[in-house]
Parts: sequence; C-alpha cells; structure tokens
Amino acid sequence: MSLKMKNISFITGIVLLFLLLWGVASFADSPEGFSGFGKTTDISPDDSELVFSYFHGDDAALYTVPVDGGRAELLAEPEEGKSYLNPKYSPSGEKIAFIEQWEDEKGDEKRRFSQLRIFDRNSQTISQRVNTKGYVTEAVFSPDGKALFFLKAGVYKNYSPIASKRPHDFDIFRMDLQTGDTEQVTFEKAYSMSSLEVTPDGKQLMYRTYQDHDQLVFHSPEDESTTTMVPEGDFASKAPIISSPTLSPDGKNIVFTDVATKDENGTFIYEAFRMNRDTKKAEQLTSFYEHVTSPVFFHSEDKLMVTVDTNFARINPDYSYWKISAGGEERKRVEVKIPQ
Amino acid sequence: MNRLEKHVEKVLEQMQSSDDEREDIREELLNHLEEAKQRYISEGMPEKQAEKQALDEFGQPDNTGRQMQEAIYPYQRGLLYAIGIGTILFGVIFYLNTTFFLHEPIPVWLAIQLFTGGTVTLAAINISFVGRYFYVMNVVLLGNVIWNGINMTMMELRPQWQAIFFGVYLLILVGLGLIAVIRNSYYSSGPTEIKQQKRGLVLISYIVNLLFGLAVTGVSLFSLWALLAFSEVKADVLLTVVPIIIWLITYKFQMGYIPKKPLVSIATGLGFSVLSLVLPYTILGLI
Repeated sequence: MSLKMKNISFITGIVLLFLLLWGVASFADSPEGFSGFGKTTDISPDDSELVFSYFHGDDAALYTVPVDGGRAELLAEPEEGKSYLNPKYSPSGEKIAFIEQWEDEKGDEKRRFSQLRIFDRNSQTISQRVNTKGYVTEAVFSPDGKALFFLKAGVYKNYSPIASKRPHDFDIFRMDLQTGDTEQVTFEKAYSMSSLEVTPDGKQLMYRTYQDHDQLVFHSPEDESTTTMVPEGDFASKAPIISSPTLSPDGKNIVFTDVATKDENGTFIYEAFRMNRDTKKAEQLTSFYEHVTSPVFFHSEDKLMVTVDTNFARINPDYSYWKISAGGEERKRVEVKIPQ
Repeated sequence: MNRLEKHVEKVLEQMQSSDDEREDIREELLNHLEEAKQRYISEGMPEKQAEKQALDEFGQPDNTGRQMQEAIYPYQRGLLYAIGIGTILFGVIFYLNTTFFLHEPIPVWLAIQLFTGGTVTLAAINISFVGRYFYVMNVVLLGNVIWNGINMTMMELRPQWQAIFFGVYLLILVGLGLIAVIRNSYYSSGPTEIKQQKRGLVLISYIVNLLFGLAVTGVSLFSLWALLAFSEVKADVLLTVVPIIIWLITYKFQMGYIPKKPLVSIATGLGFSVLSLVLPYTILGLI
C-alpha cells in the first residue's frame, strides 16, 4: 500500500470510529439517575421512628422506619421529576414539614422550584401553605407547634461558571399555622444560611451562616438581638467548618460536623463534634473515618442519629444512618429495607 | 527521476533523518546501486536487466528503510505508534465507560482525544515528516502530553478501581510522551556531530528545559482553572494560556541553541519560562 493510501485509510478509519462511538452513545440507555438514601433525617417526638428521603432515579419520596431499623414505610411520594426533602416532625408528631423540589425547562432555560409543604398524618394529605417565588430550603416547627419557621432564598444562581447553582440571599420567615400569615424575621440577604433550629424555650432561632468564615448565629425575634458563635477545637480545616449543627434537647450543647482529618487522597474526613454552648469548646464525638453529616438528637434518650456517606467527594453519595450514644462510644447502623 | 532514484526515495520515506542527513544517505545509496548496476553491465548484462538485478539484490525498499530507521533512531517510530494508538485506545475505552456506566458521554472530548492520538499516529506513519519538522513534532507530542495530563486530573472522581486503572494508563502515556519529546529534541540536534562528552550535557539540558515547560504549563492551567472557578468568564481568561504558547515559541529557539551551548541554554530556558509567565500576568494585572 502506498503511503498516500495508508494516510487516507487511517484518517477515514478514525473518522468512522468517531461516528460509530457517537452513534453507540445515542443508543445507550438514558441515565438512570441516583438511587439511594437522602442526607437529612428527623426523629419523631416519641423517639420511635425516623423520617427520611429515599431517591428512586433522582426522585426522592418520604419514608419512615423504626429507629432500630426494619422495613421502611412509604409516607408520601411525589409525581415524576419531583423530590420530597428535608422532613421535620411537628412537636405532636402529627405533621411533617418538608421541601418539594423540581425543575422546569422552558426552552434552554431551566428553572428550579423549591417549595414548603406540610404532610398531615391523620388525613394523609399534603398542603401548601405558602406560595412564593423564592426558594424555601428547610423548615422547623416552633416548640409549641403553633408556628413554622423557614429559610427562603431570593435567588438561585452561580457566581462562577464552573460552580454549581445554589440558592443565595437567604432570610428567615415565620408562618402562623393557625392564620397562615407569614412574616419576615431577618433582613440579612445572607449568602448562605442553613440548619435552622429553635431553642427549646422557643425564644431564639439558631442557624449556620457564612461571613468570612462559618459561624453559628442565635437570633431573638422578640428583641431582634443577635449573637454569633464560633466553636474552638482541634479541626483539620483552618477555620472551623460548621456543617449541619443541631441543638441538644436541653439546649446546652450543639453537635455539628467538621473536618477531623484527611484520608490518603487528601479528601477531608468529616466527623461529629460536640460543643458546649457556654465554653464554646468542641470535642470530637465520632470516629467513623468516613463523611459524617446531619446529626439529629433523640428527644428523651441520650442518643443521636447521624448520616454517614461512604462515597464522599465522588459522583453519587452513598448514605447510611447510624444510631450513636451521646458520648460517641457506641454506634449501630440502622438497617433499612425499602419496599419495592 | 530514474528507477534507482525512485527506489532510494522509497527507502527514505521510512526514515526520520533531517534534510542534510537525508542528502548524505541518498547519495550513498545511489552510489551503491549505481556501482552494482555498472558491475552487472560489465559482466555483460543489458542495462535494464542490470538495473533490475541491482535493485533485487538491494531488497524491498520499505523493509530496508525500516531497518535503517531502527538502526539510526532505535524505538523512535515504535514510541510514536505506542503513544498514538494508546491515546486512541484510551479514548475508545473511556468513552464507552462514560456511555454505559456513567451515562454521560462527551463527544467533544472524544473528538479531541482521537485528534491528538490520530496526529501522533499519522506522524509515525509519515516518519520522514518528523525529521524535517522536529519542532512541529514536539508541539504535537506536547499537546498530547498536556491533554492526557488534563485527563488525569479528571480521573479523581471515578470509582476507585477505575481511578487506579485509568490513572496508571494515562501516567504511562504521559511518560512515553515526555520520553519521545526528549529523544526527538536530542535527535534534532544531530547527535553524531556532537562530541561524545558533550552529549550527556545536551540531553540533560533538554530534560531541564522540558521540566521548565511543564512548570509553565502547570501554572497556566491551574490559573485557568482557578479563574474559571472563582470569577465570571471574560475574554482575559484566555490570557492564562498565553504562557504555554510563549514557551512553545521560545522552545523552537532553544532546540537550536541547546546543542551549541547546553549549560547556558538552561539559564536562557529558565529566563524564557519566567518571562512567559510574567508577561501575560503583568498584562492581566494592568487590565
């Protein structure tokens, strides 16, 4: 074969190879999406069951399971393309507030929706109490069960082209569950705000925000006073990263997760830390050597539930739920069987 | 062109010699063939038959050419084939993997992968091109090394066994690419003309200069990534890759200068590398 023919054959071969592979890709199955447990959980007021999200092909439904594990029960299932996330029990346990999230595509533009919903366990119905253009990301009941506080973001955007889009311009809102009236509690337009909780006496709101570094904020709606708090401890991150903080039932301690160390690939290992609110000193609570997140206190038992991601910093997470003693010495995985 | 000349040209097609070396080999082979032809004529053969006999005795031109290429530039052609086909094969395996396991194929990525693998393979097929355009060959090879290096940074997100397999595969490809560039640069300087004791120095100078180039590329690509990650896209983002282009242009000069002054050229190489970084960033700072 002459050199010219060799060149022509090779280039034609490469072009055909490209077209063939391109064609094969269009015959391949479309993405199945993520299936697995969701990140956040909540424990019923009587400490008997756990509520969580489970994803079937990118759509998350709400399930409950006994706190010691077993067969999960479907609580509420969204329509295709939507997800139910971040469930929270009401103090009576009769209601569960959660977020319904979905995306709408109009031409090239994708619009994200994130709305507050309340599930009533007695009537088995879902109600929509607020209709907003903003993005509600999480909600929590007041200890007396009469009001619902929620976080709402004004925009959903990315400030850099390769960062993913996130909600920004956050503020706290309060909804009276009897009248349905909603009022704005804070006027911060915060870049980020999360882990909203109400102190057991109902007088203060606690949330995590970012201002030069992560910090905890205690806000009193009554006199509009605000105090910030940064835990002191032996963290592997330069400044403390306060991930998913939660208040103990007596309000004296805060458990959150932060970088405890790095693994052999340099990936941060998050463990749970417990901070005393008076001393601000934080001590490491868990030693999973995995990504620990979203701790939740039991109400009467001296225990916590944490979520552990064994596939952190990779494409899809792999969450499991673990029951740990308040001192962190004991731990037991909650085995959950999802009904088909 | 007579039959003997055509035959010699076919031999030269299989060799990566530079123009000067090519001329020498051409002359030598033609003399050899001409002598054989004259010998057969003097033995009483007609001219045409004597020519045919001389050529038959000489052997298939492709084979002779390949053997001579291996004798003068050992493994150089095989290295190019390994890099080129290895790159194409990686494209096929990884693309099928992204299609069937991750369900997110990127055709543009595949096109670039096949293009860079294809150009290196074409260089191996047309090996005579390499000797005449050493610099272009190095640019093609460095492009391949940079692209496979970028691919390596993407492997971190893959599941563990995939990350290890693809990571090692790419590491070998990048290593082979760098060896090919160093050898290619070394051969470009006509090593036979360099004194024995200077050859080692020349080789070291090429390696050090290439390390400067890798450092410049690393800094450029890192700032490109950082700028994309932490700011909004503007045209000045493109300035971050200018150092690579400046370095590649100065390397053309260096390729000629290194064999003459191997030690001094380490200093000039460092100077060019610093300049290639400082210049665009000064402009970026002024904007």
